[in-house]
Amino acid sequence: MLRTTALAASLGLIGTFAHADTLTFYTAGPGGLADALAEAFQAETGITVNVFQGTTGQVMARLEAEEANPQADVVVSASWGSAVDMYERGLLMEYLSPNAAEVPDFLTHSHYVAQGISALAMVWNTQSDAPRPSEWSDLTDEAYRDLITMPDPAQSGAAFDLVAGLEAAMGEGAWELLAGLAANDMIVPGPNAAALNPVLQGAKAVVFGAVDYISYAQAAGGETIEVIVPESGTVIAPRPMMILQSTSNPDAAKAFVDFVLSEAGQELVAATWMMPARADVEGLRPGINDLNVIEVDEDAVAARREEIIARFNETVTNR
Amino acid sequence: MAPARFGAILMSAKGRFEMLRAQSVLTTLAAAALLILVGLPVLFILLQAVFPDFARGSFAGAFSKLVILTENDRLMTQARNTLMLAFSVMLGCLIFGLPIGILRGLFHIPGARVWDVVFLIPFLIPPFIAAIAWMMTLQPRGYLFQLLGFDMGRFLFSFTGVAFVMTLNLFPLVYFAVSRALEMVGGRFASAARVHGARPLQAFFLITLPLSIPAIAASLLIVFAMSIEEFGTPAALAARTGFEVLVTGIYTRLSDWPIDLSGAALGSVMLMAMVLAAFTLQNWIATRRSYISQTGKPADLEKAELGRWRWPVLGLFALVAVIGVVIPLAAIAVTSLMGTISGGLNWSNLDTRHYQPIFQHGSRAAQALVTSGWLAVVTAFATAAIGGLVAYIVVRGTGRGRAVMDGLSVLPNAIPAIVLAVGIILAWNSPYLPLTLYGTAGILLIAYIGILLPYPIRYAVARLRQISGSLDDAARVAGASQMQALRHITLPLMAPSLIAAMMLVFAIASRELVASIMLAPAGLRTVGTFVFSQFEQGSVQTGMAMSVIAITITSGILLAVNLWLARQGSSAFSG
Repeated sequence: MLRTTALAASLGLIGTFAHADTLTFYTAGPGGLADALAEAFQAETGITVNVFQGTTGQVMARLEAEEANPQADVVVSASWGSAVDMYERGLLMEYLSPNAAEVPDFLTHSHYVAQGISALAMVWNTQSDAPRPSEWSDLTDEAYRDLITMPDPAQSGAAFDLVAGLEAAMGEGAWELLAGLAANDMIVPGPNAAALNPVLQGAKAVVFGAVDYISYAQAAGGETIEVIVPESGTVIAPRPMMILQSTSNPDAAKAFVDFVLSEAGQELVAATWMMPARADVEGLRPGINDLNVIEVDEDAVAARREEIIARFNETVTNR
Repeated sequence: MAPARFGAILMSAKGRFEMLRAQSVLTTLAAAALLILVGLPVLFILLQAVFPDFARGSFAGAFSKLVILTENDRLMTQARNTLMLAFSVMLGCLIFGLPIGILRGLFHIPGARVWDVVFLIPFLIPPFIAAIAWMMTLQPRGYLFQLLGFDMGRFLFSFTGVAFVMTLNLFPLVYFAVSRALEMVGGRFASAARVHGARPLQAFFLITLPLSIPAIAASLLIVFAMSIEEFGTPAALAARTGFEVLVTGIYTRLSDWPIDLSGAALGSVMLMAMVLAAFTLQNWIATRRSYISQTGKPADLEKAELGRWRWPVLGLFALVAVIGVVIPLAAIAVTSLMGTISGGLNWSNLDTRHYQPIFQHGSRAAQALVTSGWLAVVTAFATAAIGGLVAYIVVRGTGRGRAVMDGLSVLPNAIPAIVLAVGIILAWNSPYLPLTLYGTAGILLIAYIGILLPYPIRYAVARLRQISGSLDDAARVAGASQMQALRHITLPLMAPSLIAAMMLVFAIASRELVASIMLAPAGLRTVGTFVFSQFEQGSVQTGMAMSVIAITITSGILLAVNLWLARQGSSAFSG
């Protein structure tokens, strides 16, 4: 092993030891946002931010596998429940950024704070033969037979929140709705991109429970899709940002969190078509106040996660 | 008199000692490499399977996770699906790869080297991108529908469809293994059979084909191992049909929060068991009798002419190339050039804007290309060196070293990439290590070498089994040391299969995804992770554009290497 390390050293492979002027940032997508934040932060402070970007699942898997010797300083996930979980396990450092004052109270916590917010919606291909839906329950209509996709709640934290939220709002009615969708041959092909892609090409007509900002951006790019938020209500998916207790560089981590919550940082968040966490920064699309938000008790839902997913699989995917 | 005899005994003892020492040094080196690259991560995975809190540094609750083996019939369904799929893919690879492999090995095929590069292309396409390309081609309102007015969605989203797409990713393994093996067996033995009265087909089926069995079995073993650990295709296609395999189950446990490291470790122990069983079978086939065909007698290296079969054979090559290479590549290229997906195949929808983010000065895409490039080159050389050495000891070694190496050499085959990656994190990110490669590009190198070692090992072992040991003996009698015999006799004879393996390794490493996602240090991007994140973020076209660029560069490099080898023209590199 000495040989290997000596060889590696001579190849210049060793070199990214934690310096005072570098920060390691693990984040769920969108990838462009992480890079933009890192570059703007570096321009302002001179601190280099090394970004690892993946799905929430990949970020969490990596954090867990590295638990014996954590690498990350700041983490953003797309699932609020994951922050609750990490907080309960004592992995997070307490920090409330002064810039969080403008973030609505229910999106701040002593140990984590929202970076941005997405909402769950229906995404309809305007060129499809199927009529424009306006409510979740419209999709059980015969007109949508074999034309619906849905992200897998087991793989998309946001889709899971939707199932849990609909259950909170509708009780058993939520499961009847899902059973109706299943009877209408809805497919559950995977995470968000996998559900959206068939709708873009027209193989399917509607996504039930798409993460909205991706589709807003696609529509802005010219795709013939429309994001439809049912008036009966939907679920929002705030993206928690947190500093790990194990960080070797708490000052830089705090500065980074401050920057993401600054007006400049929030403008970058808004540019991805997400809702900025700060109420005083304008988004490119309808904000929280324009939506009928279904309240979800994160703690209670997180505890029932396995049960809800098992029931979803039983009801919809027949697994 | 007595002193002279004594001297002679001493000298021969010294010679034996040197031989043993050379061999034991080589064995130790190879064993150390295998242990560090593969043994260490496997050990940590096993510990994780037994101790659920091992990653947190605790040995509490030993064996408490094993209950999922008995209480969960979903796991057994997944295991059955995995085996069914793997056997179907093996069959498919024989159908697609065997005929063209035989023809390439025995006959002069016009443009043979170009065909070789063409059939390497499936390895350059990330499997999940290929699956998406097929989806966008065959699904309702896909490209096929837009061009011809019908779709094949029903076929694609079925067991057969998944097996079909996976076959197209893997059939070149059979093509390369069979053509190289037959080249070596050559027409000589068949000619001998003909002299003794056999008809041409009889000679082929009784002589040539059986002599190639070790190579065919080795390539099928790799097909089997790769199809049971393949994630991209089943994840993209099989989820639509409710068809789950073990590796999607493992991936789910690893990537769905909350993470279940121990469950994943257990699932991968099942995968390892399957591959070990397949390996044992293959090994039994390969060692049951002698397949030696390279004895050093002057051989007629001329291949047969196709004559009037020239055009039908070229037609067959073209057909396989169209299905296996042209259609997926065209779908990828077309997608990359579409302004919007919903705009469809329409000249007004032709747009190169999705290439712009890649060509921006100092873009992350350019960094990703450079990173993947050097990683793939170093991985190809390192795996060839280690794999060749391991193969040499497994086939030519003696005593305990050989037995140990025989067992160790199976390990890299048995570990799915994602599991190896987790094992590497557990093993290399320990806080107790004074110095580690974790967090540097070096850790990716370690992972790639570990994942791709099976190619050179299997190819070189199969090749060595065809080379008679008497060639070595002859060199030794003529006064060469063991090292000299290895260098001047065995190595040149192994070179063709090692080079074929290196090209495969280069191709796969240049777009490796699963381990890269898990292990790439923050801030470092590879082609695979770049494409994947583009796809996840919704810019399918930019992801496809990056694939087009990467495939073009890599196949250009492979073509150049192949042409250079052709110009060298030395018999050692005739493969």
